[in-house]
Amino acid sequence: MGTETVQKASDLERGMKMLEYLERGPWPSYVTELKRTKYPIEAYAEGLARKYTPWLSGSFRVRYVFSGILARRSRDGKFVEIHFRTYAPAGRFYSTSYLRKVVEVAKRYGIGLMEFGGNTGALVLNMIAEKADEAVDAIRTIMGSDVGGSGDTFREFYACPGPALCEFALYDTLHAMDYIRSHPAFYRYLNTQMFPYKIKFKFSGCPMDCATANSRADFALIGTWVGAPEVDQGLFRKMVEEGKINPKEIVDSCPSKAISWNEEKKELNIDGSKCLKAMNCIKKAFPAIRPGRNRKIALLVGAHIQGHFGPKLARAVALLDSVEEIVPFATELINKYMELAPRRHRIGDMIIRRGFKVISEVADKTLPNKTRGTPSSHLRISIGTNLTDDEREMYENWAKQVTSEYFGGGSGSR
Amino acid sequence: MFMSFTITPEPRDRMNKRLPVPFSAQLPEVIRSNYGKWVARKFHGNGIIEHISETGDRVFTVKVGLPSNSRVSVDTLEKFIEIADKYGLGVVRATRGMNLEFITDSLDKALKIKEEVEKLGFPVGGWGTSLWHITSCTAYLTCTTAVVDAPSITQVLYNNLKPYFTGEEKLPAKLMVFVAGCTNSCGGTLAGDIVIVGHYGQAPRPDPERIKFCLPSSSEALKKATPDVAAVCPVGAIRVFGKPDGSVGIEVDERKCIACGRCKNVCDYFDWDPTKIGVAIFVGGKTSNTGTGPRLPYKVVPWLPVNPPEYREVVAAVKKIIDVWKREAQPGERLGDFIDRIGIDEFMNKLGIPRTRHNRCEETSWNFGVRQFITYM
Ligand code: SF4
Ligand code: SF4
Ligand code: SF4
Repeated sequence: MGTETVQKASDLERGMKMLEYLERGPWPSYVTELKRTKYPIEAYAEGLARKYTPWLSGSFRVRYVFSGILARRSRDGKFVEIHFRTYAPAGRFYSTSYLRKVVEVAKRYGIGLMEFGGNTGALVLNMIAEKADEAVDAIRTIMGSDVGGSGDTFREFYACPGPALCEFALYDTLHAMDYIRSHPAFYRYLNTQMFPYKIKFKFSGCPMDCATANSRADFALIGTWVGAPEVDQGLFRKMVEEGKINPKEIVDSCPSKAISWNEEKKELNIDGSKCLKAMNCIKKAFPAIRPGRNRKIALLVGAHIQGHFGPKLARAVALLDSVEEIVPFATELINKYMELAPRRHRIGDMIIRRGFKVISEVADKTLPNKTRGTPSSHLRISIGTNLTDDEREMYENWAKQVTSEYFGGGSGSR
Repeated sequence: MFMSFTITPEPRDRMNKRLPVPFSAQLPEVIRSNYGKWVARKFHGNGIIEHISETGDRVFTVKVGLPSNSRVSVDTLEKFIEIADKYGLGVVRATRGMNLEFITDSLDKALKIKEEVEKLGFPVGGWGTSLWHITSCTAYLTCTTAVVDAPSITQVLYNNLKPYFTGEEKLPAKLMVFVAGCTNSCGGTLAGDIVIVGHYGQAPRPDPERIKFCLPSSSEALKKATPDVAAVCPVGAIRVFGKPDGSVGIEVDERKCIACGRCKNVCDYFDWDPTKIGVAIFVGGKTSNTGTGPRLPYKVVPWLPVNPPEYREVVAAVKKIIDVWKREAQPGERLGDFIDRIGIDEFMNKLGIPRTRHNRCEETSWNFGVRQFITYM
């Protein structure tokens, strides 16, 4: 018992030293931020020194709130930690008047700490356990938002800034996100944990996919077009003369070699049947080269990282003309998902288990006249690794080698 | 100063969900009136973009690097609010990469914002051919399944790679780095240029005492349903069985286990040896349709030891990957496109990394993402 307390004290001490180190770099330190709040920094420091997360899942309930509240208790039982996921406005634009309300809530009901741009899309507020009940009401009344987006329900929707700031947007991603989130078909499931696992919607305005829908969304809606990009030859010529763009570079950067440059006529030609919608030329020569006018929303499904069969990219379903068209398809597919998928399987896992025909059947029924994609096979990779000691040693040796390459042989040099 | 409000009189009212304030209410007038009308952008140094509208209006966004995991205190947020009100249009944006953007209407004010945030210690940068962001999951800060601590790794990487963010040092193309504390990979996406993921490096060991909390109470109950801990295992490595005394036992087949960590997701009472934990490094993934298109990354480094707080092994490996790319890529070539051009074998040779069954890395040439529609387009 005695030695155990000594050991504990020294873990804490070592951990606190580590935190000091983490405050010293040129990049603004999260440790400094944590220290400005009532976050239980000791628990974190100890965890760091022990190479073990200090948290176990806690049980904490706010009556009649079924999602968005996450509670932890430390392994030694000394600390609790509670954080709320709150819904964010589409595109995550925050007016300062809204942020003032966030500050007010975070001060009165929280520990003065937040995760400003959470990976789920939510704004995460660290709260005080005793005030959690009131905090929910405060978030609704003061901020005008809600808690939610954890567990087996819809996770926070996410949209790229789209038409609000970006010239490449091919549809209104922000409106689309609000439309889906508030549509009765989806709203009824919001915060109700009844799916086998989580469901994510992501909205990207163009094939550059700033919302990472291709790799993370069960339902990915990505703006695209049919045919070749549009070329304004006059403007293009002008930009070439002004030295703003180099036609050779544009021809070379096209991954499908769909572009040719006629030096005599000073004309750029793009073969629409070859165009991969890679955006390389558009990015370089906008607005002389623009996406084609026949705009569509590509609907893809089944991407995720967490799932039964490992990470996957999205698979093509159909080209839509508007975001409204996804509703019958998505509702039907979600019903199928609830019926067919075992617990903790994402839609992508269901596709692996049942075959893509689950999707095509739903699409045949709900999107009868839509252009279909040709889904490629799911590429499967494993993340974790179960190594033998010999293998571990091999990589340890490689690590030593690169470490001495970059930090020199001696200790303490940076 | 505090607004008055009343606590929900009857908690059942909480069943009435709310939706957040509509996005349009958060937008400044100039964005609302130029919504969908942007036609061009111009860079003013690294970290300031001018958006030009067809109406002739302009807005300037200033991208600011936040601390790991975008953890900010209320104090810091209040300072940002002041800056946004004084020099900006009273709006900020949280980016996909956990950075913060200020929005204003003149270059002068944009430069002033840059000056003010830099005074507070926050760097401006992260666009064009540079490091866009290093995102991090919360890991030891709040997470129950974390194996390694992502925020501290992110902090150390940012400290070492800052010149790539601010644009003092150039890269061939944009670089996005994602750090996650465990195989759940909440760190953003796996399809990133460089992705660092913590894992156990070995099969899980049920905690002999407490694992019973995750098992049915008797072998009789076991007959009715497979418990979650066994059901979630994708390779069937977990066997749950009734013992002669009527209690329930559990066994993990180490040869089958792929250390995916899913059993830990549903049951806290698995343990791992902290000396064997490590990170895997993935490279060349992306979701954008540019270049060779969206793809999952290659696992080039299956395991590296983690040594907080300096994480030298991780920093050195990341630097090495960046250096190979920087030296040999063509202008504008993302890491994944570069690897596709020279081949993954060649890239691994350049790293000098030992090849085992864990980083075999097969090349693929399927079309993913929007490209799956090309036959019709
Ligand atoms: S996905 Fe396209 S439209 Fe959306 S922000 Fe990115 S480049 Fe712009
Ligand atoms: S990646 Fe793992 S450690 Fe990080 S937040 Fe997700 S579950 Fe936790
Ligand atoms: S780590 Fe994955 S493969 Fe190993 S026992 Fe757990 S669930 Fe099964």
